[in-house]
Amino acid sequence: MIQILIRYATLFITTMLVLAALSFSLAYLFPGDVLVNLTGITPQNETERAALLRQFQLDKPYLFQFIHYVQQLLQGNWGYSFVSGLPLREEIGIAMPATIELSAYALFVAIFVGVPLGCYAGMRSYTKRDYLINSASMVSYSFPVFWLALVFIMVFSLNLGIVPLSGRVSLLFDVPPTTGFILIDIIIAENTDTSLALNDALYHLLLPTISIALVSTASVVRLTRRSVIDVLKSPYIAAAESRGLSRVQIFRRHILRNALLPILPLMAIQITTLITNAMIVETLFSWPGIGNWLIQAIYQRDYPALRVGMLAVATLVVSFTILIDLFNRIIDPSREKYERGTV
Amino acid sequence: MPMLDIKNLTLEIDNGSTRVKALDKVNLTVNSGEIRALVGESGSGKSLMVQAISGALPPQWKVTADRMSWHGKNMLSMTAKERRELMRRDIGVVFQDSITSMDPSMTLGQQLEEAIPDELVNGKWFWQRSLDRRKTAINTVHKVGIKNHKHYLNAYPHQVPTDIGQKFMIAMALISQPKLLIADDPTRGMETTTKTKVLKLFTRLNQTKSLSILFVSHDLLAIASMSHTMTVLYCGQTVESGKMKHIRKRPLHPYTKALIDSAPSFRADLPPKSVLPSLDGTIPSLQHVPIGCRLGPRCPRAQRACVSTPGVRRIHDHTYSCHFPLHMEKL
Repeated sequence: MIQILIRYATLFITTMLVLAALSFSLAYLFPGDVLVNLTGITPQNETERAALLRQFQLDKPYLFQFIHYVQQLLQGNWGYSFVSGLPLREEIGIAMPATIELSAYALFVAIFVGVPLGCYAGMRSYTKRDYLINSASMVSYSFPVFWLALVFIMVFSLNLGIVPLSGRVSLLFDVPPTTGFILIDIIIAENTDTSLALNDALYHLLLPTISIALVSTASVVRLTRRSVIDVLKSPYIAAAESRGLSRVQIFRRHILRNALLPILPLMAIQITTLITNAMIVETLFSWPGIGNWLIQAIYQRDYPALRVGMLAVATLVVSFTILIDLFNRIIDPSREKYERGTV
Repeated sequence: MPMLDIKNLTLEIDNGSTRVKALDKVNLTVNSGEIRALVGESGSGKSLMVQAISGALPPQWKVTADRMSWHGKNMLSMTAKERRELMRRDIGVVFQDSITSMDPSMTLGQQLEEAIPDELVNGKWFWQRSLDRRKTAINTVHKVGIKNHKHYLNAYPHQVPTDIGQKFMIAMALISQPKLLIADDPTRGMETTTKTKVLKLFTRLNQTKSLSILFVSHDLLAIASMSHTMTVLYCGQTVESGKMKHIRKRPLHPYTKALIDSAPSFRADLPPKSVLPSLDGTIPSLQHVPIGCRLGPRCPRAQRACVSTPGVRRIHDHTYSCHFPLHMEKL
């Protein structure tokens, strides 16, 4: 157990170091001054510039520069934004939870709709209902997310007018960003009507969540269905049938667990797609998340923001992937003890 | 009335473009309290037979039979629930590949306890019942010859050696106290001493609890020592069937004779270092089975008439399917 944890910790640290090195090299690869790219502070004169160079150890060899950079990252000095002049850590601290929140709800929908549908389709494989579910998932899987979100906006916001167009919550509600998660913030907030605000926030959440969740649900349905069909073919299901267990008992005791165990790592791969889609959808719905923030940074050539933003998103994806794989490793008895950790 | 009575069972496998008859009009009866051996070389359809009886069939398999009955009740027209009930209480099955026949994500103990029918568990409250289940599981495991129950009940299928897995399969089949045990090659992968113990267990259960056993194997020595009757299968056709001692003394079908001759332990007169007699050729694949008697191309006694399938002929309780049987002059 401890050995497994050490394995995964090593994997995580190594991956993070590589990512940090990439982000550090971006400061040199981006056009413009390395000092400005790395810190976000524009020196006013030569003396200030020399002082800053010394402070950020940019006069030393690359390796020492990198070590200093990692130290700064760990201490929370992520530099300043070109555009707003605010510390990047604060900006990301507000933007990141919004993305995590949106992806989490989408993932929630994908799992709680996708797994039962997939199991149903798998158990009824090669029947009309299975074909119906399968083709529906194929269709929704092949929609481009940005197009789908635009269609949703057109139909539900502009034509029917049942859901709001953009943002997280109506401006009428005064919700201070304490945690960054809007639903939690509303519950914490003191001088707002909690139930009204929650209702409003949920309406705002509806369209972005559905547009992200559709693609992920479709892939979860397809993965689950395939896995259930594979398990159904295995000899231990035939053996269980010959012991006179009913269909429901066999499904509950033998099929469900064995079908879900192998697709958990595959779901970890889906997280990358999910977060990418979330970032696209954020831009369309003006959701104040990391995707929207990064797009703005690109427009405004905010190099320090791009550098740290890339590192933050990558960290999020890598930690989720590794955590899910570790979880799967712990709960799956048939995985070998000496198997290596992978991202 | 026989316990299990199967007449002209045909199993067709639909492999997309064509249909192959994997079993062609097979007959099999098992009487109460007897040990019936089902013999044949690999690929003769022994395991298919077991699966057809146990009812766990893939959707592309189609079973038809003139008669397939359990104590006079038709098994083919039973509802799914009746069939399940029959499999749950009356028939226990030991499958050939024990490790893959067990759920890889459950411990052996959990699977064994799951196989105990609810009506055999004593106790009113769930903790009493789970204790009783545990006790029954440990007893059964000891009965099949596993001593270190603590270790193996908590192990997963991929962690145990094949012979332990095989014994667990046997325990799982026996734990519901069935009337008929179908054992598909139960002693595969066991060394001789364990094998003897398992076979002794079968014989004892047969004598003390009058458990009927359908013993599927190609281990002729084991079969000869324990079974009362024998059915020989070749390439999906029943070749010969009758009392063990009659078949051993006077096989009527050329294939049965070849099978018995190929086992050195049956031949006291075999000189040392002599070539073992065997039929030329190999068993045909299911896609290319010969018409008529499927032994035809390999049979030393084959003649023109063999292109039509021989019907079942009967001499007392000894049945055979051959146009030109052996030893006829002595009968």
